[in-house]
Amino acid sequence: MKGKSFMSDMIRFELEDVVGRENVSTTEAERATYSVDYFWISRMWEDRGAEGPMADVIVRPGSSEEVSRILKIANYYKLPVHTWGGGSGSQGGALPMAGGILLDMKRMNHLISIDENAHSITAEAGMIFQQLEWYANERGYSCMHIPSCLTCGTIGGALGHRGVGILSSRYGKIDDMCMSMEVVLPNGDIMNTLPVPKHAAGPDLNQIFIGSEGTLGVITKATFRLFEQPECRRHRGFMFPDLTAGLEAGRDIMQKCQPSIMRLFDEAETVSIIKKIIGVEERGSFMNLTLEGIAKIVDIEMEMVIDICVRHGGRDMGSEYGEKWYENRITFFYPDHIMDIPQMFGTMDTVADFSHVEKIYWAMKNAIESNFPGVRFIAHCSHWYGWGTMIYDRFIMDDSPEDREEALRLHNQIWNTGVRAAMENGGVINDHHGIGLKLARLMKEQYGPAFQVMEGLKKALDPNGIMNPYKLGL
Amino acid sequence: MMSQLADKHADKCRFCWMCRHLCPVQLQTGKEVNTPRAKALLLSMVRRGKVYDESMAEVMYECLLCDACTDNCATGYQPPLYIREARTEAILNDLAPKAVSEVLDRIEQTGTIYGTEKKSYGKTGKAETLVYLGEVAAVAVPGMAKALLSLLDKAGVSYTVLEQEPASGVMLGDLTGYVEEVRQQAEICAGAINGTEAKEIVVLDSYDAEIMVQKYPEWGIGLKGTVVTATAYIRRLLKDGRLKIARKAEGCAVYHDDDRLARTFQEFTEARDIARELGYELVEMFHHERLAKSCGTSLAKAYMPELVKRIAAGRWEDMLRTKAEIMLTASPQAYECLAETVPEGRKLVDLFEALDGGCV
Repeated sequence: MKGKSFMSDMIRFELEDVVGRENVSTTEAERATYSVDYFWISRMWEDRGAEGPMADVIVRPGSSEEVSRILKIANYYKLPVHTWGGGSGSQGGALPMAGGILLDMKRMNHLISIDENAHSITAEAGMIFQQLEWYANERGYSCMHIPSCLTCGTIGGALGHRGVGILSSRYGKIDDMCMSMEVVLPNGDIMNTLPVPKHAAGPDLNQIFIGSEGTLGVITKATFRLFEQPECRRHRGFMFPDLTAGLEAGRDIMQKCQPSIMRLFDEAETVSIIKKIIGVEERGSFMNLTLEGIAKIVDIEMEMVIDICVRHGGRDMGSEYGEKWYENRITFFYPDHIMDIPQMFGTMDTVADFSHVEKIYWAMKNAIESNFPGVRFIAHCSHWYGWGTMIYDRFIMDDSPEDREEALRLHNQIWNTGVRAAMENGGVINDHHGIGLKLARLMKEQYGPAFQVMEGLKKALDPNGIMNPYKLGL
Repeated sequence: MMSQLADKHADKCRFCWMCRHLCPVQLQTGKEVNTPRAKALLLSMVRRGKVYDESMAEVMYECLLCDACTDNCATGYQPPLYIREARTEAILNDLAPKAVSEVLDRIEQTGTIYGTEKKSYGKTGKAETLVYLGEVAAVAVPGMAKALLSLLDKAGVSYTVLEQEPASGVMLGDLTGYVEEVRQQAEICAGAINGTEAKEIVVLDSYDAEIMVQKYPEWGIGLKGTVVTATAYIRRLLKDGRLKIARKAEGCAVYHDDDRLARTFQEFTEARDIARELGYELVEMFHHERLAKSCGTSLAKAYMPELVKRIAAGRWEDMLRTKAEIMLTASPQAYECLAETVPEGRKLVDLFEALDGGCV
């Protein structure tokens, strides 16, 4: 927005005319705040005293109509627009890499309706997801989308990057929970997807915008399914001799029962997770599992689960471990409990079918550990399907290089190596954190010729390329 | 710029998003800067060379110091710690917003945030019980001050109130951070209280109670008597049969837990017990007790009245989702903030005044 003379002030005035003067800001404090999200590089950049990517102007819309008018202004002046929800994404998806306008959506945080007949809830997309969950809880329901960023991210953020919560193995990912959406297209048109998510009226528009990371428009409202709170929620822990046995048991369980939580830790992570939960070291591959719903059904499912696990060499550790993990599920993400600078770290979550998943795990582990001495690799599988599972692979390096360019280069080399190992062995570039800036360069490698479908959509909807430039490889 | 401890807390919070959903200012403004992590991030940038400017100082004042973030932190980090110190820097470097400086001037000139000297409720003579009313009740919510004293009269309590009640230091401390002048105010206040030789100090405003209980000992300032919150004291009088309810109140009510009673003292039952004995049918707002959402503070209202009005309205929205028609409060600060935005068909009731009306 570096127009000649007073041009930038003229544009700012237009934006103020839409949202009010108090909702447009160019102060140093506000602009600096949006220069760091959860992406490791933005954090490292700040930690090393360097300036992060700054938007020229912060705009806070209060309605879909205001979003529409802002996008029309942005399109006329060809100004980049970066949509910011909670800013808690780990892929740099919200960072204003191209300057221009940063659209902070959090003024749009109102509950619109709860339909107790259809079991659905509708709200504006700038609402922090925990607020939506509280509104549901007030009426005795739950959205059952409980990610570790529940209190940090917005509805729009969860949809934008295809988020997932800890109960996903039973209730699905955000794309299974969303029934319909309102989206403001880059040209300012306000559109709605169809009122229900299942139909035979062409491709599902929800699934075009879910995961689009602000590159195809701005999600402004969404309707989600509501679930009744389960009559009971029962936890169980199992210790398997190794990851292979655990994966076999997990496959068997998912093809017969429907746990809400099932987390299987590799042998490296088992050591630390068990120590964190109960304070002693145990060897093997630990699984904590939760069944919920109607008590009678849960009882039967639990019998089946125990039988399956024992059959695959698992040792039944009772309910205590699972309960403790559940109690501490959020604690793990507070400072001093989670990895932080000066460590270098990242989560290379990938997803694959059961025929490929273990091969991918070993390929990634070997690629990281053999190419980057001093880098640890741990993993767990925490979101399961009848056909496969995701692997939450993490790399950790205790001391990252002090020089920021060197640190960035090493970080990206590790990511390229790990993600390519996953893709080459049948895995997908990412499971539930999204692509953002971090993985944008690898999208064409993942998709091949299929990527032109996305490029075509981008070109048709956003011909000026103003929406969240450099993200998603678009 | 700041203490090592504050720097440590800010550095830990700068990349943590976990408590942002609880910030009542963020919920109303939707501004990213109104999250603890943003304030911490800005201060960490300053430590790494960025200039602390007026826009950053302004951000540090857009906070109620309600402690919802601190209470939520599983590790124990405290955003108000560095926010208070950042306010000190803002004052020292003449960066504080104009409205803040005006409140500071009023405190210097009159001793209160209102620019009016505290009215005296003094009751001469020594007694085992001292009532400390605080400036909000004395100036802005006199009905609550009078009701509390009337209840003590009805219960036959022998008590005293300071003729010239000095400031506890809480307002200045929240406005400027804990600078030497705050400690001096605290010393004068403690001296006046100790001069009465009271064994029990009944404190009406929980914000005053907090500084007396938490900061005075840290600064080596001793109070001879024990600090008791007004709600706990009145509950005791009811329980001991010294207060008798003759006329029951009617209606369905919610009780608003104020920031300090909810999170510093974790006192939840006393006010609710009083309300139930008085005859109210009590229901709960979804966010209550430790999770109670702040409705604003008198200090914040003094320098950002419009924002506090919106925050108070947000608390009424919570109430409107219940079946209650009455919001009860036992906090003068909460009363002052909530009084401006009472929705049509709903009532704000001072718990002490309601009880006084029901007691003989």
